[in-house]
Amino acid sequence: MISTLHICNLILPLFYWATVGIYLYDFFNDSSFSSNSKRVLLFHTLLFHVFYLILRTIAFDHPPITNVFEIFTVLAFAVSFAYFILELETDIRGTGLFIIIISVIFQTISSIFIQDETVVKEVLRSNLLGSHVLSALLGYSGITISAVYGFLYLILYKEIKLNKFGLIFERMPSLEKLEQLSFYAAIIGFILLSVAIIIGIIWLPRAFKDYSYLDPKLIGTALVWLLYGIGLASKILGGWHGKRVVIFSIIGFLLAIASTLVTNFLAKSFHSFY
Amino acid sequence: MNLIAVSINHHTAPVELREALHLNREEIIDLIAELKKELFSEGLIISTCNRTEIYGIPKENKTTYADIEKFLIDKKPEFNINSERFQKFFSCSAVNHLFKVSSGIDSLLIGDNQILGQTKEAFQVSEDHDFAGFLMRRVFDAAIKAGKRAKTETQISDGAITVSYAAVQLIEKIFANLGKKSALVIGMGETGEIAAKHLRDKGIGKLTLANRTLAKATALAEAISANVIPFAEINDYLHDFDIVISATSAPDLIIKKDDVAAAIKKRNHSATVLMDIAVPRDIDPETRNLDGIFYHDIDSLQIIVDQNLKRRKDEIPKVQNIIMEELVAFFSWYNSLEITPAIKSLRDFFEDIRAEEVDKQINRFSQEDQEKLEILTKRIINKILHHPTVELKKTAESGVNNNETAIKIGILKELFGIENKTEDKR
Repeated sequence: MISTLHICNLILPLFYWATVGIYLYDFFNDSSFSSNSKRVLLFHTLLFHVFYLILRTIAFDHPPITNVFEIFTVLAFAVSFAYFILELETDIRGTGLFIIIISVIFQTISSIFIQDETVVKEVLRSNLLGSHVLSALLGYSGITISAVYGFLYLILYKEIKLNKFGLIFERMPSLEKLEQLSFYAAIIGFILLSVAIIIGIIWLPRAFKDYSYLDPKLIGTALVWLLYGIGLASKILGGWHGKRVVIFSIIGFLLAIASTLVTNFLAKSFHSFY
Repeated sequence: MNLIAVSINHHTAPVELREALHLNREEIIDLIAELKKELFSEGLIISTCNRTEIYGIPKENKTTYADIEKFLIDKKPEFNINSERFQKFFSCSAVNHLFKVSSGIDSLLIGDNQILGQTKEAFQVSEDHDFAGFLMRRVFDAAIKAGKRAKTETQISDGAITVSYAAVQLIEKIFANLGKKSALVIGMGETGEIAAKHLRDKGIGKLTLANRTLAKATALAEAISANVIPFAEINDYLHDFDIVISATSAPDLIIKKDDVAAAIKKRNHSATVLMDIAVPRDIDPETRNLDGIFYHDIDSLQIIVDQNLKRRKDEIPKVQNIIMEELVAFFSWYNSLEITPAIKSLRDFFEDIRAEEVDKQINRFSQEDQEKLEILTKRIINKILHHPTVELKKTAESGVNNNETAIKIGILKELFGIENKTEDKR
């Protein structure tokens, strides 16, 4: 089983590269063949990824959330899966390239550095932790997708303002649609992050005796959550729209990245497991 | 195939001539009656603002292009139109030309969306007046098929190629659902009117018109279900609109930056599109620097038009391939018309011989063997004729060499004396 897993680990990034390749081809050529086949390939890539994750869980007797490279492969799956659902729901096919490329990066890094982790800390075997990590990852996937749509919004906004009617103008949906997609992704991300935080608060006292609510990772996550909360409330209650909202989303995403980098690699925390 | 066609169009004649020869429905009906009486057994007349074309199957072989042109020239003798203004087509080239017309690649605006519908209408008029016979029906079915394929299988009709439509295309890149938006169109000249109609066609939620002459705006508003506001008060209402299209002939700016700044503030910086398609411009171009304002003038819209035109031109080879496929399919069918009676004559000829010989000998066989004899002799005839039948059909359907088909049919008839036999029978 382990050797099958190793082969899958090699093949999986190739699947993602092929998928992003056909999305890239379609972005530049817009043929009906590539437009239809890219979705089929993405579906098979996701199917293969599910198989890989299940195989990994069975082989090592724990869900693949116990080290940073396992987290990366789950994140790669979550981002592409969320995009796949969005594409099916909205039939907007021109933005996939910019989102699946994130999965390609995460999966490639994961496949290169991932180790066979048979022994894991006892604290990482909790079911609550599984739910906590899964909802956090899906939440981060949501805000990542929100930021990508926000970024595409800003590019298209600038192109239209400057009378540049190139490929982005051709392939992207309307500004309003991009704003909507960014908003919906942010809402989903925010809800799932909220779930992750609630589960974390429940699980924390059970798992650690020396925990602190002033832990850098908790503060970072709280800040990201707060920023998105303010942004979403401003849109829903304050009638914010357009550029202001998507800039908020992008700042939130950048803060989330900065917070993750600082708390995972620089700060000492009880919350660092790897 | 003796289909003959003449066309006066934007390739051969200036707009004044094309306008002069443009035929309305009643004129087309009158002309059909004349053509039916004097020249054609069946045919079709297409007349749009850019072309007037007559297609027909002549009653007599001696019909010339000049005979057909005369019908049009005589209608407008004051224009002194000469024969050089007409393109002339016969047989395959006439069918090819019609396919090019229906697919939009012969249009002044390449990929023109209207020409396919105009071709259908023209055919309907012919049909209604018993001018569309068996052959023309098939020609026009094939032309419509070629036109539809060009539209669906290529991008020949994609993208806006007029400034008014480019404005609407650009608006659709900003707003997701025009049904929830409100628009103001200022100026009821031709451009403004077209823009208003485009917006209505695209399902704009609320459409308002303004014009210096109120009556003109009111008349159009009634026709396309729009509201009207007084021209002098447009700046007071500016904040109510997501889209403003201005196409007046005013010599000075009618919407200034301060007016727009005040409106966008009232709108809480909600996106507002300002399309200035007037020359000289109506809206202060400095408004483009305001946040949430998308200002575009005729130059920026022309960029979209030029890009789309180039893209459509790049699609022409793909459309020509479709036309070629449809031509081959059509002439395969047409050639098979010629081969079918020949094959039937050949089979009848052999069947007659078989039946005659069986009749002579039938009494020598028992009742049971008589049936076997019928089956056996028919099978022999079928086997003998199978290969020649297949070969003749193949040659005809390839549509490559009509002469080859004709020669083969001729040899067969001559060798077996099929025609003689028919005549003998008479």
